[in-house]
Amino acid sequence: MSAGGARALVVLAALAVLFAIPQFTSHEYVLALGVSFAMFSVLSGGLNLVYGYTGLLSFAQVGFFGIGGYAAALLVTELGWSLLTGAAAGGLLAAAVGLVIGYSSLRLSRHAFAIVSLSFALLCLIVARDWVSLTRGAMGIPGLPAPVLDLPGGTRWRIAQPADFYYLLFGFAVFAHAVIYLVVTSRLGRAMRAIKLNEPLAQSQGINPLAYKLLAIALSALLAGIVGGLFVFYLTIVDPSIFDFYYTETMLIMVIIGGPGSFWGVLLASAVLAALPDLLRFTTDLRMVLYGAVLIAAMLLFPSGVGGWLQQRRIARWRRPQPASQ
Amino acid sequence: MDLNFYAQLLLNGIVIGVIYALIAMGLSLIFGVLEIVNFAHGEFYMLGAMLAYFLTVNAGLGYWPTVLIVVAVAVCVGYVLYEALLASMRGANFERSILLTLGLSMVLQNGAVFLFTTTPKMVASSLSYSNILLGGLRLSLSRLYALGLGLAAFAALYLILYRTRIGKAMRGVAQSRDAALMVGIDPRAVSRLAVAIGIGLSGLAGAALAPVYAVHPLMGFSFVFKAFAIIIIGGLGNVSGAAIAAVVLGILESLIGGFLPLVMVDALVFVSMIAVLLLRPQGLFGRGVRV
Repeated sequence: MSAGGARALVVLAALAVLFAIPQFTSHEYVLALGVSFAMFSVLSGGLNLVYGYTGLLSFAQVGFFGIGGYAAALLVTELGWSLLTGAAAGGLLAAAVGLVIGYSSLRLSRHAFAIVSLSFALLCLIVARDWVSLTRGAMGIPGLPAPVLDLPGGTRWRIAQPADFYYLLFGFAVFAHAVIYLVVTSRLGRAMRAIKLNEPLAQSQGINPLAYKLLAIALSALLAGIVGGLFVFYLTIVDPSIFDFYYTETMLIMVIIGGPGSFWGVLLASAVLAALPDLLRFTTDLRMVLYGAVLIAAMLLFPSGVGGWLQQRRIARWRRPQPASQ
Repeated sequence: MDLNFYAQLLLNGIVIGVIYALIAMGLSLIFGVLEIVNFAHGEFYMLGAMLAYFLTVNAGLGYWPTVLIVVAVAVCVGYVLYEALLASMRGANFERSILLTLGLSMVLQNGAVFLFTTTPKMVASSLSYSNILLGGLRLSLSRLYALGLGLAAFAALYLILYRTRIGKAMRGVAQSRDAALMVGIDPRAVSRLAVAIGIGLSGLAGAALAPVYAVHPLMGFSFVFKAFAIIIIGGLGNVSGAAIAAVVLGILESLIGGFLPLVMVDALVFVSMIAVLLLRPQGLFGRGVRV
């Protein structure tokens, strides 16, 4: 069987297992880990698109995530929108904000983009805390109602149980990864990689770097915004902690460990690290110290992540001189 | 509204602006010489303030010995930081050095939270309560000292950069690394000194502000947000541009903060950064050197 066929089987098997989990256990902790994996995998997948494929280090993902969360929560509670339209509007708003930030800072340099994206994420936190008339300040918007989805065929799906949220986020994560996979394996993805590797060369081949960079930012912001919009209903509250730097650090670690620019590597790292709180049962502070140490070690020892390291080994194997045949 | 009120806001703004400048100048110097954006810069400000707190409250040292020790320790930490971590980043890409310093910031910040908890600590010394009156204006002695320390640091940095050989070498490396190498400047010695000065300035800012504000592990985080905006507005790598932008920002913040909610101040910082990027991407005082 070809490598591609084997990979497709593994993916189908993994999807089947993930789909079946709520049938075997209604244990809330297991489902919570699943929801956390789905949510983080979309965030890290988007970051991988921006950083891993296009080469733009972004700290803004958490801002898009929170903007989506706040927008969806406000649209649903204040204006009575449905969950899906609210989350979609949150995603579109996040994408629009992403375009503004990207357009203004990328005219200068990638460096400016990294700095501006960080400032943007911190600004979101401050605005959420201090613009009390819109966001209700530090208390946030508690008691988000259990959303109801009108499914085709006239059934109404009331999303209230952990298993319902598991399926909702799982379904969206599959959709988001399918979109990311289609982008990175298409001409778009090749152009993005070319920009990352050598921007002047890509430009000389007729690729407009700014357009592809903005596309990557907008798409990752859209996905992060939507997943934020869905996730807050699972939490049933949105407050300024949705902009916490913790999310940024975690998704960065996932991308770095998985290997920037490696679709499956980042997905796998997201799964492992989402389950890790279970293995590392110490306080968040110490976990973040550990993540920081991992980041330092990774930058000193394997800058291209585990995925990149494996790929380098594969290339080294190809290059190894074959034993001379008689 | 009487004039005194404005003058008071102006004075407070200058003090805070000078402290912003200490942090932003160090950040800008490190960027100019090493092309590394030090994401952990705010944490060294926090550690400086923490150390000042322990020296003052636990060890019972006075103001001046505390400041001296904190700055000396910060300079040494800068040397170690360069030798242990940043030196190996030479020639590495920009994102890698950012992620490295981000990792360092996570270790320092969360480590401080774990060790010291997030409870704000007050450095209560006689300084905090004594005021001097300058023709109707009230300035606490701790703020006055902070202002004096900041101005002294400006002067010292200016003298180092423009009146010494190593300072000249530093400016040379910032202008063109290759050309500096060609004329025989050792980039390692220059980079090491730039990091030591940058971290030293951060430590000084922490020690100077410890008696003015409460000390807690997350203090560096909110500060560094402004410092990044300042170095963009002042022109990446432009040290005097960063100083001017910082003082102006401190004054504006104080004046606006007197009338409008705090969120407007933070929004102003961000909006001015975006406006500068759109209208004058090389920074208000950009020096035309490729970043």
